[in-house]
Amino acid sequence: MADETGLFLYGIVPSDVEPTPDAAGVGEPPGEVDVVRHRDLAVLVSEVGLEEPIGRPADLTAYQTLLDGTAEVAPVLPVRFGTVVTGPDAVTDLLEAHHEQFAAALDEFEDRTQYTVHGRFDEQQLISELLAENPDAAALAEQVRGRPEIESREQRIRLGEMIAQAVELRREAENRALIDAVGELAVRHAPRQPSDELDAVNVAFLVGVDDEEEFVRVLEDFAEQRRDLIRTRLLGPLAPYDFVSAHQLVE
Amino acid sequence: MTIATTSGGGQPGSALERGGSGGSGGTLADVVETVLDKGVVIDAQVSVAVVGIQLLEINARIVIASVETYLRFAETVDRLNIVPEDQKGLPDLVDGATGAVTKGKAISGLGKAAQEISGAVVDSLGDRGSERERERPRRRRDEER
Repeated sequence: MADETGLFLYGIVPSDVEPTPDAAGVGEPPGEVDVVRHRDLAVLVSEVGLEEPIGRPADLTAYQTLLDGTAEVAPVLPVRFGTVVTGPDAVTDLLEAHHEQFAAALDEFEDRTQYTVHGRFDEQQLISELLAENPDAAALAEQVRGRPEIESREQRIRLGEMIAQAVELRREAENRALIDAVGELAVRHAPRQPSDELDAVNVAFLVGVDDEEEFVRVLEDFAEQRRDLIRTRLLGPLAPYDFVSAHQLVE
Repeated sequence: MTIATTSGGGQPGSALERGGSGGSGGTLADVVETVLDKGVVIDAQVSVAVVGIQLLEINARIVIASVETYLRFAETVDRLNIVPEDQKGLPDLVDGATGAVTKGKAISGLGKAAQEISGAVVDSLGDRGSERERERPRRRRDEER
């Protein structure tokens, strides 16, 4: 019953990419990573049982580890997690049908890498600042402070709503400031949806290898200037997950 | 002030934390946020024999302001100047980090994969003192696909 297998696709790469022996794929035990080549392109794949549930945390981590590791040595076009095809023929069909788009996209990612900047507000610090800036909210805060929720629910909701709106404005401003600070050091940037109501910044940047050092330095400054207000994290170098949307084959 | 570190790297004393590359150092929440719903989509019409694409979209990414949020902000106002600032430690931060995924009620119509992912995040973070109790999702639930 579990005999049928398919190929899990990780990413599209130039055909000279060779998986290292320790490359581990999805599945339990981890699948062996292989390449299916066609002309000057290739796809990183591994065999998976079709009955096997894929999407365990280890699978996601394996997927990202493989793609990020590949991105360090070669351009790679991530294929959406969970894509499984019947076999090598399907992979070559795919490469044949979209050769030009894939090749062009890989060219664009040559010597470029993604970094994601994700920052979260310190809630207390943020709200203190917002109240200091907004007399109406501060007055409302005085009214509710220390009173049980049951008595002050209306005011609390109003206050909370004012704060939520101010947080949103602040988030927009911080994202703009971040994008401005990075400026020309990124080839492209892609704003990401906030993942939490205390998200301060969340932007993906595509950065050329020659600019990486300067890019990190600029972010150090950005983070330092906001040390008490925002916990700023830099994720990467990553495969260009946020920059493939233009190459999606939706139709 | 001590900064809760969920990731390796970064200069000592730097306000910028580093991590999240290649699944090393980053949290599972980072991995989920980084890779899900990204990448080239291969549609079935290109004559490719696509066996299955599990489109894992986590709608919880979209933050919807709610009364619950408002009340929580108001509660924070209550705590202002009472709690010393440096008491904000790991549980707060980690709790926030799960936000992206544990708003599980917003995940609907997903395959078991996404449920397992969110389950795992809850599992891995739940024992760190997260104050938000969540239903522990069933793992490896049998589901028709």
